[in-house]
Amino acid sequence: MGEDFNTDSMLDMFLYESEQLLETLENVVLEKKDEDCFDEASINEIFRAMHTIKGSSGIMMYENITKVSHKLEDVFYYLRESHPENVPHLELVDHVLEVSDFINGELDKIKEGEAPDGDESKIVDEIDKFLTRIKTGIEKKGEELPPENTYVEPAQFYIAPTGSESSKYYKVSIYWRADTEMCNIRAYTAVYSLKEIVEDMQYIPDDIITNEASGEVILADGFHMMLKCQCLEEEIMSAIGETSGMDRVEIHDCSKQEYEMGFHDHGDEPIIIELEDKAKEPEQKEKKEPAPGDYVIKSKEAGKGKKLAKNQPKPQPKQTYISVNVEKLDALMDMIGELVISEAVVLQNPDLKVPGLDLTNFQKAAGQLSKITTELQDVIMSMRMMSLTNTFQKMNRIVFDVSRKLGKDIELEVIGENTEVDKNIIEHISDPLMHLIRNSVDHGIESKEDRIAAGKDPKGKITLEAKNEGGKVYIIVRDDGKGLNKQALYDKAKNNGLIGNRAMSEFTEKEIYQFITYAGFSTKEQVTEYSGRGVGMDVVVKNIQSVGGNLEIDSTEGVGSEMTLKIPLTLAIINGIVMQVGNSTFVIETNAVKEFVRIRRDMLVKEPNGEEYIMLRNECYPFIRLNQRYHLEGSKTEIEDGIVVVLEHESKFICVFIDELIAEQEIVVKPIPSYIRKVQGLSGCTQLGDGSIALILDIAGLIAGEERK
Amino acid sequence: MAEELLEEFEDEQDAQKGMFMTFQMGEECYGIAITFVQEIVGIQPITAVPEIEDYIKGLINIRGKIIPVIDVRVRFKQEPFEYTDRTCIIVINVKSTIVGLIVDKIAGVITVDEREIILPPSLSQSGAGNSKYVFGLTKVEDEVKLLLDPEKLIQDEDMTALEEVVSGGEAAAEA
Repeated sequence: MGEDFNTDSMLDMFLYESEQLLETLENVVLEKKDEDCFDEASINEIFRAMHTIKGSSGIMMYENITKVSHKLEDVFYYLRESHPENVPHLELVDHVLEVSDFINGELDKIKEGEAPDGDESKIVDEIDKFLTRIKTGIEKKGEELPPENTYVEPAQFYIAPTGSESSKYYKVSIYWRADTEMCNIRAYTAVYSLKEIVEDMQYIPDDIITNEASGEVILADGFHMMLKCQCLEEEIMSAIGETSGMDRVEIHDCSKQEYEMGFHDHGDEPIIIELEDKAKEPEQKEKKEPAPGDYVIKSKEAGKGKKLAKNQPKPQPKQTYISVNVEKLDALMDMIGELVISEAVVLQNPDLKVPGLDLTNFQKAAGQLSKITTELQDVIMSMRMMSLTNTFQKMNRIVFDVSRKLGKDIELEVIGENTEVDKNIIEHISDPLMHLIRNSVDHGIESKEDRIAAGKDPKGKITLEAKNEGGKVYIIVRDDGKGLNKQALYDKAKNNGLIGNRAMSEFTEKEIYQFITYAGFSTKEQVTEYSGRGVGMDVVVKNIQSVGGNLEIDSTEGVGSEMTLKIPLTLAIINGIVMQVGNSTFVIETNAVKEFVRIRRDMLVKEPNGEEYIMLRNECYPFIRLNQRYHLEGSKTEIEDGIVVVLEHESKFICVFIDELIAEQEIVVKPIPSYIRKVQGLSGCTQLGDGSIALILDIAGLIAGEERK
Repeated sequence: MAEELLEEFEDEQDAQKGMFMTFQMGEECYGIAITFVQEIVGIQPITAVPEIEDYIKGLINIRGKIIPVIDVRVRFKQEPFEYTDRTCIIVINVKSTIVGLIVDKIAGVITVDEREIILPPSLSQSGAGNSKYVFGLTKVEDEVKLLLDPEKLIQDEDMTALEEVVSGGEAAAEA
């Protein structure tokens, strides 16, 4: 048992950690995918992620994961150490995503308890080729080929240029400012980075590593190298890079003879590049160059637009996390609830009510205590909330993938991704959201040709927006595609027998749009890899409903569609109105309450069969007496003594008669223990401030119960 | 008694074997295996839940945990009784279902040798339907203790009755 437990927890840790790493990795990659290359920070990030996964999968003996991550690590190691330019960036992005998908797939298998048996050799081979290509590509550049040609043709991949006749010879001198320390080490850094790109080199002083005193010689006379290589001066410059204290770098062309003679003669006019200029130059160059790797058709434009990448604040502060079992959080929440009650017991203790007691100090201390407990409560509540950032970032990936494969040019705009939602809810909306996005990319946005024909911007746009409004979170997926065709929807629904024989005019616009959420409905003639199977929208709606949300669809033909998910902020905590009926206490979610009214007897309409209605401002509402419904004793029966609450759920209204209102407060929803079977109209229970338990009324259930009569 | 208990808790699992928590219910004394017992609390305010079986009195709150409570007397179809200070709730945990049992008063803990447990006569006429919850009898100092099977006690064996309640929406449970 003990041993089992250990490997289990190790496995958990491995899965958790790897997933986290892959997630960060994917985010980094997607963030940079529209730029021309990875910056150093992201290269390091990816390298570290791969390194860790390699290590931990090695420990867990998942060989294929180890191999794949090792390979990618190699690539990024090379990128990190050699800073090659003109790496086909999109291809690299592809490889990284491929690896991440592969590992994710294997992790899923492990989670299911299967052996991770995916075949890694193909990916490893491809990355191998890619790596060879970027390595040789560097040396090719001496020929000044435009970068896009260099990489497209496989014939050029494996040229081994070492020792070829086209080699160029340079003399390079580096001078440091007088106050620089450890020049020998700095010189060595330059040598080290040049080694990657030159075929041969010599330098004076030649004992820079072993002799510390050489630093002073360098400081006085400069550091001189002679290089034999295929590259241009700029490349040498950028390889040497800019280190602090460097004063200037001189590069002379020289002949083969000179090179062979070594350091005896100095050549022609030196090309002196002052470092300040130099620092800017390579950067600009990098930006101006057309992105290599345009080998993928349209891929450069497809996916998320550049604007997004730029809009994002670059260095996001690192947040540190620990993972905590949700059960522990719940336990903590229970205990804090208990603490609040104990606090009330102490602070309102009858012993304190002895006349003539001086409580000044006590009250002060009590105030402090209340403040802390309130803060504690806030903290525990916030611990369950997570921002939608991660979920939205996943959507980026989907737009990127799907739009590329479909050859569409689509920009995804994300608004309000910092909106916070309860963790449970996030888990439930991720899949539906993914589906909606896919639908928009696949069905919503037209092909480029169609868009141009319709006079639209050839680039499609999908907006993913989250906002917090009235205690609910709205998540909106908006596209500027072709919109929904009502007639087509109606015909399809009718042909599929989903709506019987009702005429189109019987439905409102929104009702027709809702057809797409019916099971077995798909308007797309052709099933694609991504959507169109007709399963999906109904599942989407079910998923959303399971967390108490709903989906609204709106569309204008030719202009676009808008899908709005309305979900509650949290399932665990709601704002509720506490009310009393007889001896029982009930809670109703505040959002469901339209109004409270005092009813005069003449507003009550009683049918001969005993059913009652309320006439309110010339409208007739169904009416329930909660005391009769639940056979509660000791409650008010006279309509004018109590209060009527008007409740709304999905545009249906119901009036409920109660004795009195007690308070509005935040309540922590707890399920009614499963031992007690489900009672219609009750959705849960909660603990009130004084420790007593109140039952939460479920408006949908009440309305359904009334309708069934 | 208490010292004895403490000592025996030293090797818990073994020590708990054959130990029963006994409680008084009207004339009879019942026992329940101590392994099921989680804790004993005094009577608390109970929140009634409408439309449920009459023997489920409602919900109580024990340190933030909401637990349903059963009135054992009503469960045995005996006359309900007034709750007093001596009334206790035995919180039991049966296969992760946590339920409170309302009993007249706690009698104590007894240790019963397995061989001393007598099976109830299968043709029991008396006992007004409670025999199905009793899996054995034992005698301690001339007093007969009825040993309860907690699983049966909390199980919903009357499915038909249940369905009636569901469809009819009757049966009120007042605390």
